[in-house]
Amino acid sequence: MNQKGWHKQVGWLYVLPALLLLLTFLIIPFCMSVNYSFTDYNMLTPGLKKFVGLQNYIQTLTDPVFIKSLRNILQFVVFIIPIQLGMALGLALIVNKKRPGNMFFKISFFAPNVVSLTVTAVLWMYIVNPDQGLLNNLLGLIHISPQPLLTSPKQAMFVIIGISAWQGAGYQMLIFLAGLQDIPHSLYEAAELDGANAWQRFRHITMPSLRPTTMMIMTTTLIAALNLMTQAMIMTQGGPDNATMTPIYYIYRTGFTDRQLGLASAMSVIYGIVIIFFTIIQRKVEGRAQKDD
Amino acid sequence: MKHWKIGVMTVAALAGLSLTACSNGSKNADSKDITMWVHFSNTDPEGKALAKNIKDFNKSNKHGYHATVKYIPRSGSGGGYEDKLNAAVNSGSLPDVLTLDGPNTAAYANAKIIQPVGQYITKKDDILPTIKAQGTYKGKLYAVGYSESSIGFYYNKKMFKAAGISDSELPTLSKPWTWDQFNAICKKLHDKYKTPILNMSLNDHSEMSLYSLAPFIWSAGGDITNKAGTKAVGYFNSKETASAVKFIQDLVKNKYTTVSPKDKGFETGKYAMLMTGTWEVQTLKTQYKNLDWGVLPYPVSPKTKKLVSPTGSWQYAMSSQAKNKKAAGALVNYLAGTKASYRTDMANTVLPARKSTSKLMLKQADEATKFFIKQNQQSGHARPVIVNYPQITRTFAETLQDATYKPNTDVQSLLNKQAKVMQKYLDQKN
Repeated sequence: MNQKGWHKQVGWLYVLPALLLLLTFLIIPFCMSVNYSFTDYNMLTPGLKKFVGLQNYIQTLTDPVFIKSLRNILQFVVFIIPIQLGMALGLALIVNKKRPGNMFFKISFFAPNVVSLTVTAVLWMYIVNPDQGLLNNLLGLIHISPQPLLTSPKQAMFVIIGISAWQGAGYQMLIFLAGLQDIPHSLYEAAELDGANAWQRFRHITMPSLRPTTMMIMTTTLIAALNLMTQAMIMTQGGPDNATMTPIYYIYRTGFTDRQLGLASAMSVIYGIVIIFFTIIQRKVEGRAQKDD
Repeated sequence: MKHWKIGVMTVAALAGLSLTACSNGSKNADSKDITMWVHFSNTDPEGKALAKNIKDFNKSNKHGYHATVKYIPRSGSGGGYEDKLNAAVNSGSLPDVLTLDGPNTAAYANAKIIQPVGQYITKKDDILPTIKAQGTYKGKLYAVGYSESSIGFYYNKKMFKAAGISDSELPTLSKPWTWDQFNAICKKLHDKYKTPILNMSLNDHSEMSLYSLAPFIWSAGGDITNKAGTKAVGYFNSKETASAVKFIQDLVKNKYTTVSPKDKGFETGKYAMLMTGTWEVQTLKTQYKNLDWGVLPYPVSPKTKKLVSPTGSWQYAMSSQAKNKKAAGALVNYLAGTKASYRTDMANTVLPARKSTSKLMLKQADEATKFFIKQNQQSGHARPVIVNYPQITRTFAETLQDATYKPNTDVQSLLNKQAKVMQKYLDQKN
């Protein structure tokens, strides 16, 4: 074997662990899902599964709950990205300035991210309890009548959006903070000498400099948002009236509670295609933004 | 190329090894060894009681059978144990004997995870009818419950007295309140305290919904499905079912109860009543010693005046892969028998599943437990035994959620719609 051929083989050896992991946990399960999606696989009777053609796909696409879950996740994504990003950037700007007690604020803002989602969901359920919860008590102080919150199909998703943004913003604040600290101070000094005010400095120096960071955060937020499940599962079980039902929770419920793995697999494949669609749009937006730069 | 060959050989060897590890060994019909899986931990009171029962069984049985138990505690969401069972179904490595929750009987029997066990069970007349109903699928006994459960209306004696409700007005098992009388009592309490006075756990949309609220429907003469579990239309949307759902909806509309109850509200004196299970007795006795409380039966439909209460719990069953059926049957029979179930029920402070065990427990039980044992025997009603039970119980919970979260919803049209949803699940082939 010549030197070049050997190098090539060693290269393959280096990527082998990653390839094996991808193959075991991503590619093979995905192929299995596609295979199951054409069968009537019931979890308790794996030996009896048979080919049913496109039946599971037709059932999924005509299932009003699945369609509603797609609408819900779209609503979630549309609201969570600007809210969470705005919160994260705001918090990063607060802690970016050197002032006493900065470390306390950094830790406080980051703390929700360390606590498990299940725990925070349970804690928030006390706060947003319509009858005696803290939130309605506070609203009462400013003469706003008690809100139904999680018990209302109109408000429940917004409560979940708020809680999710609160939970996720701290981590993204840290990434923004790193981005902010990378901006050369000389730029701000030059702008100040040119007479730029605080808003102009933010608009023309901070924001453009943070664009790569923002893009990265947008991508991670989008991925996390599309996987929304825990909050809905713990706080509302997808209700009321399926107002907080998310695709992932619905797939989980169909597969593991209703034991219909065939149907759940078809839902996964369809949702996978939806996610790919979202990713393509995001890549295009990202590409256009980079061109503009 | 040698490297590749070595790699392929290593992978093949590893795959071979893992396959060997997964296999369950050869099946031997004369095997005296019995394997058993249970859903609780060996450190729980229930686990400790089972360990003693297994020791007794191994010592006392005349055939030399030897049982070993694997403890697989359920996780918070109820997974863990079920996940392990599902995996075992797929890999063909089920134990000889297993535990299963009451509502799973039909699905497990239909999927041939468990097999009929009736011929190995002695003294069947001693078993409560509700326990037999819970474990019976298509006329055959597949599983035997070793404990029971129930729900009652816990009440705060001090708050009742302050609202002017005398002891003589309180209902008994032989003379329960009708819904009208119950509403009058709620009004008295609500007039006095000006807040919801009853926690019915209407925020709980799990199995608790059907388990705790279906007795109202059964009391009215309605039902969720027909007896065979094949039809929901005509049953879940019957006038009788609608009258019960309307009664529950009106409790919310009149603000006697709430869809978002405060946790531990009854225990801390915020609600005068709490509708919950037998498990609350231990909580109140150990953690809220200063609370003066009692338990009342379910209110009954004014038309039928029939008292109905919920039942059901975990059971023992023989798996379809049991090596030696006689041995596995003997173990199920022993564990569900009077002596063993008495030990488990006492350790776990749950209700008995046998008449003989009830007699033994009644001698020692506190007033509340005595009440529950009697209520169980007089008015217990098993949940429907349906293969697609998870979908049925969820549709039930969603229906009650819709009726109570939006108290102006027309109950009859809601039930008409939801009965069709249930019917769709009942018609699904498994």
